[in-house]
Amino acid sequence: MNVLIIEDEKALAYEVELFLSKNNYICEVCFNGTSASEKIAVNLYDFILIDLGLPDYEGLDLLKEAKKSRPEAACIILTARAEVNDRIKGLDLGADDYLAKPFSLLELQSRMQAITRRKFGLVNQTVDLDGFLVNLTDRTITHLSNTVSTITKKEFDLIAYLILHKNRTLTRAQLSEHIWGSVVNDDYDSNFIDAHIKNIRKKLSVFAATEWLETVRGLGYRIKTNV
Amino acid sequence: MKLKTKLTLFNAISKLVIVTLFVLLLPSIIENINRNYTDSRLIKQKDKLLQIVKDRGIKTYIEDGQSYGSYLPLKEEYISLDEVEPDYYADTIQNEPRLVERDTIGYRILSHTFTVDNKNYLLEIGKSTETIDDTTGPLQNIAFLILLGMILLTIIADQVYSNYILAPLSRIIRTKLVGAKFPSFTSYTQVKTSTSDFQHLDLSIHKMIGTIENAFQKEREFISNASHELMTPISILQSKIENMFEQEDIGDEMKVRMLEMQKILNRLKSITKTLLLISQIENEQFLKEDEISLTYMLQDLYEEISIRLQEKNIGYALALSQEVTLNNVNKFLLFNLLFNLVNNAIKYNKPDGTIIITGERVKNYYTININDTGIGIAADELPYIFNRFKKIKQSLKQDSFGLGLPIVKSIAAFHDIEIQVRSEQSVGSTFTLIIPAKLVKQ
Repeated sequence: MNVLIIEDEKALAYEVELFLSKNNYICEVCFNGTSASEKIAVNLYDFILIDLGLPDYEGLDLLKEAKKSRPEAACIILTARAEVNDRIKGLDLGADDYLAKPFSLLELQSRMQAITRRKFGLVNQTVDLDGFLVNLTDRTITHLSNTVSTITKKEFDLIAYLILHKNRTLTRAQLSEHIWGSVVNDDYDSNFIDAHIKNIRKKLSVFAATEWLETVRGLGYRIKTNV
Repeated sequence: MKLKTKLTLFNAISKLVIVTLFVLLLPSIIENINRNYTDSRLIKQKDKLLQIVKDRGIKTYIEDGQSYGSYLPLKEEYISLDEVEPDYYADTIQNEPRLVERDTIGYRILSHTFTVDNKNYLLEIGKSTETIDDTTGPLQNIAFLILLGMILLTIIADQVYSNYILAPLSRIIRTKLVGAKFPSFTSYTQVKTSTSDFQHLDLSIHKMIGTIENAFQKEREFISNASHELMTPISILQSKIENMFEQEDIGDEMKVRMLEMQKILNRLKSITKTLLLISQIENEQFLKEDEISLTYMLQDLYEEISIRLQEKNIGYALALSQEVTLNNVNKFLLFNLLFNLVNNAIKYNKPDGTIIITGERVKNYYTININDTGIGIAADELPYIFNRFKKIKQSLKQDSFGLGLPIVKSIAAFHDIEIQVRSEQSVGSTFTLIIPAKLVKQ
């Protein structure tokens, strides 16, 4: 997958590039709108990540150009601009997703994977975790043709996010940012992730052992799988 | 009360007072006029008669000590001339009864004595008071009608003129103060008027709105800039930490320390995001176009918070009196409002406590009560709970930075929802949301 990262903040562009390269994306980086505009016109990309706050270019214009010359590319807007209208404008102009800074790189990757799933029409994406079949499309978990019906929406979100980043330790902060991201409140440190994991284990252990769901001491949680 | 109404009222009342006064005074005025008129007529008649006596001699009327008398057939007027004692003197006009052919009639009588050829004569000219009064009635009526007509005319004229002259004022109030919502950011349209006071008022309001708009604009720009300036470094730090977690040469001990950094960064992120949200709401950057079912929203909320209830083993009861749909709201914001209130009800609750949420329609608005069995709020702290970063004593123990209720307040104000709080220390608190009729789908 080819990714064009348009971000004037070099340190951030570098981190995004580093992260995506490690996850097998082929990245190109642009620090200004003019060179990005040229690159969009010449090269083929699967993903274009656009920062709206470019010094030399109106980010939304870049989005228009990209949508015009590369309609097949998925565009994700990354912005620190607080204006609510920007989000609406961006999505109206055909952006596939919108991430407000500061965002987690894991969140970025999960959005990109979601877009990939959508674009390539992966109808049934099922992951086998030692006998537990997790269907990410239907959002169901089955074990030996028994459906685990007690799993709540939040709990499934957690499992799906861990599967998406399988074999990687996710910290409580990262997990909680993913599942509580849309709520603005004044708590800190109390993310209730442990309670959720406890519940998930309790509900699944009725069917079979859940050793694939690991606690990484002092750090967080991880789903271990070879598939 | 409106200025126009006040003026109209004053106008009507003052006119009414004048009319009443006049009506009360009218009889005596008319009577007075009538009497004066009668008297001057009597004097004229006397002068005429004396002139005749002077020209033609007294013999024209009296011969050989006979007396002279004459009256009209209906006895409205009479004249009498008599010889009297030489030392008798009279020169008066007064009301007196007279017996005329068996009828006693009240007359206004002019009595006058004069001397001709060494003889003293008394002249009396009378006019019956009845005939005088006859003219009084119609005169009064005519005067009253003319007065009434004139008063009505002036009331109408005053009304029309005050309407005309006050029109620019009501236009200023309607378009610049009531209709306009701050910050309005609309261009200035001058209100046409020749009254310099209104011109001054219009211009001053315009200037003030301009100043306010400027301040708002600056605040918006500041927030936009500040967010960019703060969010980008936070974003870089967050990405760096996340990438470092992936690095193989970093040991577990270092990772735990990085985790601490991540937590602190998250705190910074939450505070910045929350402050931004509040200012975005206050700058009206959100749309109010959603239609939501309150039942569904509270169900979603329950899913969101059930894990927190479970942690403290708190009982949760929801009782809405009926299905209710809210429109012209912002779903995201409203959810956050309810989330923060219920989250507080959990946070400040005792273990094994309860939360009861009730909703009911009162007239055409809707009220939601969120009642908890928590630590409560002291009466002297109650006025400050909605202030930013104001941590009241009990909440210091909690993991919060004092922005939960400010979010609630901003969102409620944005939707014109009124919040009432009742609280008793160590018994619990009840937050009541009064949702105005315009948001409740009827």
